[in-house]
Amino acid sequence: MTDFIQLFINGLAIGGVYALAAIGFVIVYSATGVVNFAAGQFVMFGTFAGVAMLLNAELPWPVGYGAALLAMALFGALFFAVLYLPLRKSPVVTIIIGTVAIGITMQNAALLAFGSWPFRLPSPVEGVNLTIAGATISAHAIAVVVVTAVMVALLWLLFFRTSLGIGMRAVAQDIQAARLMGLKVNRLLALSWVLAALLAGIAGLMLGPMWFADTSMGDPIALKAFAATIIGGFGSLPGAIVGGLFVGLSEVLGASYVSSAYKDLISFGIMIVFLLVRPQGVFGERVQDRG
Amino acid sequence: MRMTRQEFLKALLAAAAMPWAAAARAQQGSPIVVGATVPMTGPLSLTGKQYHNSLMMAEEDINKAGGINGRNLKIMFEDTQASNSTAVNAFVKLAQETKPALFFLSSYSTQNLAVAPELKKVQVPAFYAGGADAVAESGNEWMFRVRPADSVSAEGMVQCALNVLKAKKPGILYIQNDFGQGGAQTAAKRFEAAGVTVAGMEAYGQNDKDFSAQLLGLRGKGVDVILIFNYPQDGALVLRQAKLLGLKMPLVTSSAALVPAALQLLSPADLDGVWGVVDTFIDPAVGGRMQDFVERYKTKFGTDPDPYGLAYYDGAMLAAEGLRKAGTDPKALRDWLAAVKDWRGIGHVYSYDAKGNGVFDLAVVKSKTGTKSLELVQAIKLN
Amino acid sequence: MSMRFPLLLGIVILIAGLGLSMLLTDYHLRLLNLAVISAIAVIGLNFAFGYAGLISLGHAAFVGTGAYGVALLTTLLGWSPWLALPVAVAGTAIFAVLIGLPLLRLKGHYLALATLGLNVSFSMVAANWIELTGGTNGISRIPELQVAGHALADERSYLWFALAVLAVSAAVAGLIHASRHGRAMIAVRDDETAASMTGIDVTRVKIAAFVLSSIYAAVAGGLFACHMRFISPEDFSYAHSITYLAMLIVGGEGSIVGAILGALLLTFLPEWLRFLGSAYLAFFGVFVLAILVFLPSGLVGFRWPGSLRRDGRSKGPAMVAASKEVRP
Repeated sequence: MTDFIQLFINGLAIGGVYALAAIGFVIVYSATGVVNFAAGQFVMFGTFAGVAMLLNAELPWPVGYGAALLAMALFGALFFAVLYLPLRKSPVVTIIIGTVAIGITMQNAALLAFGSWPFRLPSPVEGVNLTIAGATISAHAIAVVVVTAVMVALLWLLFFRTSLGIGMRAVAQDIQAARLMGLKVNRLLALSWVLAALLAGIAGLMLGPMWFADTSMGDPIALKAFAATIIGGFGSLPGAIVGGLFVGLSEVLGASYVSSAYKDLISFGIMIVFLLVRPQGVFGERVQDRG
Repeated sequence: MRMTRQEFLKALLAAAAMPWAAAARAQQGSPIVVGATVPMTGPLSLTGKQYHNSLMMAEEDINKAGGINGRNLKIMFEDTQASNSTAVNAFVKLAQETKPALFFLSSYSTQNLAVAPELKKVQVPAFYAGGADAVAESGNEWMFRVRPADSVSAEGMVQCALNVLKAKKPGILYIQNDFGQGGAQTAAKRFEAAGVTVAGMEAYGQNDKDFSAQLLGLRGKGVDVILIFNYPQDGALVLRQAKLLGLKMPLVTSSAALVPAALQLLSPADLDGVWGVVDTFIDPAVGGRMQDFVERYKTKFGTDPDPYGLAYYDGAMLAAEGLRKAGTDPKALRDWLAAVKDWRGIGHVYSYDAKGNGVFDLAVVKSKTGTKSLELVQAIKLN
Repeated sequence: MSMRFPLLLGIVILIAGLGLSMLLTDYHLRLLNLAVISAIAVIGLNFAFGYAGLISLGHAAFVGTGAYGVALLTTLLGWSPWLALPVAVAGTAIFAVLIGLPLLRLKGHYLALATLGLNVSFSMVAANWIELTGGTNGISRIPELQVAGHALADERSYLWFALAVLAVSAAVAGLIHASRHGRAMIAVRDDETAASMTGIDVTRVKIAAFVLSSIYAAVAGGLFACHMRFISPEDFSYAHSITYLAMLIVGGEGSIVGAILGALLLTFLPEWLRFLGSAYLAFFGVFVLAILVFLPSGLVGFRWPGSLRRDGRSKGPAMVAASKEVRP
């Protein structure tokens, strides 16, 4: 039982990070129709923004986290202006390959800037362990679960209680209608990129202390976030959350109770089964070939 | 052939006192070219950088000491990246364009295996540092290993678990690649031969970042020691997560988790109760050539040398001696290398067997409590 | 389009390749071999992606199936490579049918993600099924190909053989493109509903394109195994699938000549740019992106203003133009 508690909390924490990455991915997809294959590199950028602010610039953590997130928000806006706008009219395959190419560039730009040696990004609650029912649990894992929950609550408030968020939902539903209703569509589209970058930044900052920060960490996260999105349902926010937590838990519990060698095959296997049997996922859109 | 410290210092002084004479001699004739294909970019450059550094340092030292019978030694580098195909391209490029008298290959077994057929075509001796036994078993008579084979390391880890830690129910955790799979299998067989049952074996993928399931699984099986076969970064992460999960049993890690690149990621607390089997215990305190090497390496490159890098340095020195004595004829050089017995490098004693394995000694180390420095527990010599 | 173009293409490939094989040194011959092998795989990808519009991020898995097939049949069962090659290709085709039947109901990014998942799963199984695949240690000592008692051991003679295979592959691809089946694929890509209205069996056409692409991939994989004589899971990771796709995009999707040009360029480019070191991949990403934005029909789509198009019969570009013209 103690083992199960430890595994469960760990799985939740990892799942929380996947969920945040998946939410960012879904927000961009719903608003702009872009399937962002560079989503994993966004998270990696978030971790390295933390490395730059906390380790290189040696800022105290509240300031450093703020600066890192600010940098990520700027990056999201830049991405919108420099990459999204020129590519937005292209066919879906071009956008997929384009974001793959952007991801490769992002990863290797980070490699050039930070080198191949990994970094140890400290957590604000570094070294604090809690004992719950005999299970040792790091305070950081709990913090990750809490932050994920808070972020989900904030997003809900944004999308359902502010005019900004309602506008974003309107754009996601029907961009023409939104434009006709006088919404500043471009601004809302930009905002969705900024939001995605911010969420990836938060995921990255939380991930840094759990793993080491290295520039090749993006791809594995992306694969898991994709699986989470498919399982939860493409374009669905609750789906991204449920999918992320599910992938995180299945990874940790699957490695423990099924096979550690094939644990990733479990989440991909479930993803492929979902694609074949229920491509709209648990909560997702009905149309199969949107975009 | 054993050099005392005094003799060594004398030789060094002599070399320092007559740089001009030596340089003048060395300039006669064209340089002797040696090719080196090492991972200088990409994820494997974490360790590859060390080989690059130590080979450059060896080249400089050899030429300062008069080169190869008056001719300079020139090492030409090409990058293998993290790809087998690129490794072969790099090798063919060097073989084609510079016609080296000898090669240094990378320390990644799959790259060694990929290059082996090409090497056989080119017919030039090559040093390599991949540990997989499969490389030696493939029976390529041109290949010479400068490090202990993985089975030797695994055997050393088993001995540490049995003799030093008195393990009764060992567990094994390994990375899913040639190194981890081979090492874990060898270790399991050795435990079995010693009449000890392995209580649990767990694996993880090369890109995995979370090991809680594997570590807790092993703990759940009641293991009293965990043997860990790892690469540098994941090795460091395993050690750290073991502490985060509250594992108390001693851990015996393979050497990768104890190289400087991995140690910089760990805190003293992470290393509490960690044992390891390293190729060479790098300790400047033993003095002599070891101290000289460590200090000069640090001054030159700003980082600590690791045992793999040292193996390449030794390999280069051995190569230089071979080139002096047997000349650049590939066949003669190969035969000379195959006949090397009890050649004393800084890190190892080299004696080549019929399969091109030359190193059979290792060191068991453990972290000093509360620090990140390692101490020697015992040296192991295997047959 | 007549039958002339495919034959001409095959002959041009043979002549150009033979000429080059006489001029180049071993290192460049080796790169040319790799490029020719990649070109076969990319021509295959062109069926699925260029003609039928099926985006696949799992092409390397089929190259790997072919390569592992040849490697296992020759090393475990001691078969001759000449027997192993067709069997491995046939096995891959069956595998592709089994995978394609359920998977090809998906489109767009769903298909992209599913094929990506397929490739990741393939690597995982190849790395972990140690008893069969040797795990990450791979399979070494794959025998050399023999032609009339002469081993294709050196780069030059292997290149002649690989060129012959490429020439035939390209010619056959050209014939298929010009046939009713090729047109059906393009019709399906452009508008599925319209295609099915004209009596095209959309599912069958998609499966056919997918299986054709896997057959070419398996041929390339078999050639790769016999050339390297060592394979390991790393050689067939999804990163290679992305490279194949990039070769097609850079060369020009929907074009056989483009597939060959892209494979050539992206095989030689990293070697020419060795001096860039770590910066190469960053450059690669920007390069592919620039092609996508500024030259969406790839290198073969490049036109010097006002030339070449005048006479609609000019070889390579004309063919691309033909395939482009049916595109909205």
